Amino acid sequence: MRRIHTHYFLLATAFFLLWPPNNFLLVTAGSAVVPLATHQPLAIIVNRSNPIENLSSAELRKIFLGERYRWENGHRVTVTMLDPGFPERESMLRFVYRMTESEYRDHFLKGTYTGDIPVSPKTLSSPETLRKFVFNAPGAIGYLRRSDVDGSVKVVSIDGHFPGDLEYKLLIEGPNE
Amino acid sequence: MNTATKPVAGMKSVGYLKAEAFLSRAFDRHSTVLLFFVIFGVEIGLGIFVTRDLLNSYGQVQEIYAGSIQGLRRIGELQYDTQEARRSTLYALTTNDGNLQVQYADQSRAADQRVSEGVAQYLTQARLPREIELGKQLANDWEGYLKVRDGVLGLILEGSANEAISLDLSEGVPLFDRVRQDVESIKILFDERASQQLAIVTSASRRSVLQLIVGFMFTLFLGSLATWAFEKNKMHSKMQVAKLQMDFVASISHELRTPITIIICAGDNVRGGFTANRAESEQQGNIIVDQAVQLAGLVDQVLLFASTADKPHYTLRPVQVSDILASAIKNSAMALHKSDFAIEQSIEPGLPRIVGDLSAISLSLQNLIVNAVKYSAGNPRIRLIARIDDPLAERKEVRISVEDHGRGITSSDLPRIFEPFYRSPQVVAAHIRGTGLGLSNAKTLIEAIGGRLSVVSEVGVGSTFTVHLPAEPKDSPTPTPSFAQGPAGS
Repeated sequence: MRRIHTHYFLLATAFFLLWPPNNFLLVTAGSAVVPLATHQPLAIIVNRSNPIENLSSAELRKIFLGERYRWENGHRVTVTMLDPGFPERESMLRFVYRMTESEYRDHFLKGTYTGDIPVSPKTLSSPETLRKFVFNAPGAIGYLRRSDVDGSVKVVSIDGHFPGDLEYKLLIEGPNE
Repeated sequence: MNTATKPVAGMKSVGYLKAEAFLSRAFDRHSTVLLFFVIFGVEIGLGIFVTRDLLNSYGQVQEIYAGSIQGLRRIGELQYDTQEARRSTLYALTTNDGNLQVQYADQSRAADQRVSEGVAQYLTQARLPREIELGKQLANDWEGYLKVRDGVLGLILEGSANEAISLDLSEGVPLFDRVRQDVESIKILFDERASQQLAIVTSASRRSVLQLIVGFMFTLFLGSLATWAFEKNKMHSKMQVAKLQMDFVASISHELRTPITIIICAGDNVRGGFTANRAESEQQGNIIVDQAVQLAGLVDQVLLFASTADKPHYTLRPVQVSDILASAIKNSAMALHKSDFAIEQSIEPGLPRIVGDLSAISLSLQNLIVNAVKYSAGNPRIRLIARIDDPLAERKEVRISVEDHGRGITSSDLPRIFEPFYRSPQVVAAHIRGTGLGLSNAKTLIEAIGGRLSVVSEVGVGSTFTVHLPAEPKDSPTPTPSFAQGPAGS
């Protein structure tokens, strides 16, 4: 009899939390509450002086892998990354690099050692610092949640799509902030 | 026709007489108080003027000082921020940590923002063409340097340290030197302006001090001049009085000696039996009586003068003009009888009564009549005229004139004839006897009852002395019988 009551209680709780007016998309797993993944767009940003407007997925990957050194205007390409642990970084590793964290480290260790990659990506401690870095460095490229982007940097379209477009595929998988 | 209504001065140049009269009037009474009041007033005025000037100078100095401090502080901040903008940029070179490099870039940009604001503020406050020119030059040079700075920062952040240093050395350093020179020029210009303003204020302060000194010297001069004039006037008056007193003593001695000698001679004649008959004895007796009467008159004048030395006080009452004239003629009868003079009286009909003292007015008129006889030069016509000045005037005045056709008075004597003991040199030379007190006494008596005495005279034609007396107001009570009143206390 007690087990039946417990099941009713859990069912009622799940119903309450999943009701449409509620913004908290949660599921229960036993007694623990786990946040669901969101799909925010991840914007690719460059310095405002950079003439580039659009990049293909392939070009984007090449740039972030350190295989392209210069922009069309002659400035050196400077890749910026957030510190490990940021959902933005994890999304970049997953969708652009298609690597794990250790594979990423090995890639650049090997590239700089062999001389194939002249400069490793600049690792920055916060989205704000990353935005300022891109603002100050003419050849810098980085990524930010769309909500962290302001007028000091320029958003580049990927495969002709801007963040927010339905076809835009660069999304963040991680907890909502 | 010479006219004088009051005595003024001696026989000197007209300008001197006027000046002396002015100083005499100005410093005659309360002269010391007046003198110090004038000096005090001048000092106060001068003090207010100079104090105001000095306060203005002090305010200007305060403004310049505050402006200098503020201006120097702003220029100092400008210098510091330009260096901070460059220094922070170069600090970014010292690390490979992107986070630190961004921090340094932020610091540099914050400093350059302050510099840009400071330059804009300087330009809005610049007034002189040189200031505006320097401000614009600094703005241009700073803008040029910032472009290079941005390039250097970009290269540093991209990891191109060598290129960043190269760009800074080739373009950044010269441009920053120009910026530094611009700021230095602004500072020099500011110092020059502050020095100029300070020089202006210093000059104004010196002028104020000079004005103070000149003012004090002027006041000192004025004070000295006034003191000198005052002392000179006092000394002059004392000398005049001393001279008049000596003249009076000499004159009175003569006036006393002559009748006394005649009396003694006549007495000796009677006592020694030199008179042959009763008629001769009677003649000697008459001589004695006449001389004694003359002596008595002389003594009366001296006593009257002595009694009026302090202003006499009278009880004023309404008096009929006819009573006054009758009393004066009666008292002058002896002098008139001896000289075979006749007085013509002319009294305007309907004259109001005057307000005064019968005895004082009568005595004054008596003196005037005796004088008319004395200085008649053989012309026995004397007129006594009483009239009202303006029948329609609200405050009426009765004028009683004693008119003679004698020798007249010179213009140089006119201002002095009312001075006690004064006797004209021509009169003395003509051996006309007198004490110099008759007119003085007459004037004193008339003024004591609120009237005044004036004279119009022409040499060789005659003189007219007029007594001006206030008429009784219309709404006065019924006339009361008038009677003589002597000077108070006499």
